[in-house]
Amino acid sequence: MQTASILIEIGRYYLMAGGVVAVLFLAIGIDRVEPSSRGSYVFRPLLVPGICLIWPLVLYRWIRLEKHGEDAR
Amino acid sequence: MSVQYMPVIWNRNKIVYDAVLLIAVALYLYVYIRVGPAFEDVTRPIDGAILRMRAFGSCAFLMLTVILCIGPLARLDRRFLPLLYNRRHFGVMTAVIAAVHANYVLGWYFNFSPTDQYVALLSSNTNYGQILGFPFEAFGIAALLILLVLAATSHDFWLSFLGAPIWKALHMFIYAAYACVVLHVALGALQGPGDPIFTALVAASVVLVSGLHFVTGRMEAKRDRGEQTAQASLQEQGWVIAGDLDEIDDTCAKVVTLSDDERVAIFKYDGKLSAITNACAHQNGPLGEGKVLWGCITCPWHGYQYNLADGRAPAPFTEKISTYRLKLVGSTILLDPNALPPGTHVNPIEFGGDS
Ligand code: HEM
Ligand code: FES
Repeated sequence: MQTASILIEIGRYYLMAGGVVAVLFLAIGIDRVEPSSRGSYVFRPLLVPGICLIWPLVLYRWIRLEKHGEDAR
Repeated sequence: MSVQYMPVIWNRNKIVYDAVLLIAVALYLYVYIRVGPAFEDVTRPIDGAILRMRAFGSCAFLMLTVILCIGPLARLDRRFLPLLYNRRHFGVMTAVIAAVHANYVLGWYFNFSPTDQYVALLSSNTNYGQILGFPFEAFGIAALLILLVLAATSHDFWLSFLGAPIWKALHMFIYAAYACVVLHVALGALQGPGDPIFTALVAASVVLVSGLHFVTGRMEAKRDRGEQTAQASLQEQGWVIAGDLDEIDDTCAKVVTLSDDERVAIFKYDGKLSAITNACAHQNGPLGEGKVLWGCITCPWHGYQYNLADGRAPAPFTEKISTYRLKLVGSTILLDPNALPPGTHVNPIEFGGDS
């Protein structure tokens, strides 16, 4: 019982943090690191679930692409 | 260089693909829910919600099986390639069907539990130390999480943003998801009263998926070995490795240096490869820097033109340059360094498709 509620709580906070990352990334990051997405807005909401699920990876790639540009691809 | 992103790119083929897929899924669910009750007996009462839960669960399992078979099938026989082509819509739909299955479980088994449904799901069985009565739901949850992550990262954006190596590694988790589902079913549904049809189905799926991967794996290892020996024997005859097919952009050339004053330009155009000397007959202009049009290369310096297949300037001109023989082994291009007399026709190497 205890463990289960803790797991669910962790999951909830994880997804909430993902939501914050999603807003930041779609508002700021995506135009900076993904040239092909400049000017396209319709497809962005589609990325929200993915960002919420794997936001640590998104942050990692965002930082890498900011630092190393296209070389990181 | 890149096109703008769209939410989903559909074309005629993909619409047909998706339509066939949707119809097949709907038909499966309909038949299962219609015919299922006929197999009901006292030991296994089946009511609406359970039936629908099973219909969606088994549907997702079968879809996952098909997805994993498409890859090796397409490698065995090119006629399966159209199936591969829109596999991501297949995957997304599988994740949706699996989510519906899980939702039925939550709604049915835990609807009346006083605790939160999700908490109840995780805490109802924690016998992780035993095989019989193992909390097989955990494997279902793991599989569903993987399927959701893969579905959520199937858009082209993710391939470009994460980079191909990370994206591919991520999507290899589809195999982990399949293993989890097999365990989920083996420790769950198959532990109950025997259901020969479903048991046979699961066994057939495991045999098919692992068998197909084994066979294609063997085949590719054999082909790789064949390519290596072919390459080695050509090299023994003095041929040189000129590079990989992917290195050359379409209508452009890769220039290979054989010696100080001998350079060869290998052109890729119209799904073909041809090699000519890099030196123009006029004033040694760098032909490899020209672009191919209609199978002809135009020298970037003063515009002399040559047919790539025979190194001859189109009539009425009479200039001729040397051509070279090429061989393609796998995706490796090999070059015979002995120049052929100027104007010698060499059949271009067709590598199929200029994609
Ligand atoms: C949160 C995730 C999941 C939960 C909680 C869950 C739970 C369950 C439960 C309680 C059963 C009934 C077992 C029984 O009849 O003894 C079941 C059966 C099944 N599940 Fe899941 N499941 C989940 C995810 C999945 C996924 C992702 C798949 C496949 C891709 C899947 C495929 C199946 C299949 C094939 C059955 C057997 C259906 C039958 O009896 O014909 N499940 N699941
Ligand atoms: S050198 Fe090629 S056209 Fe003059």
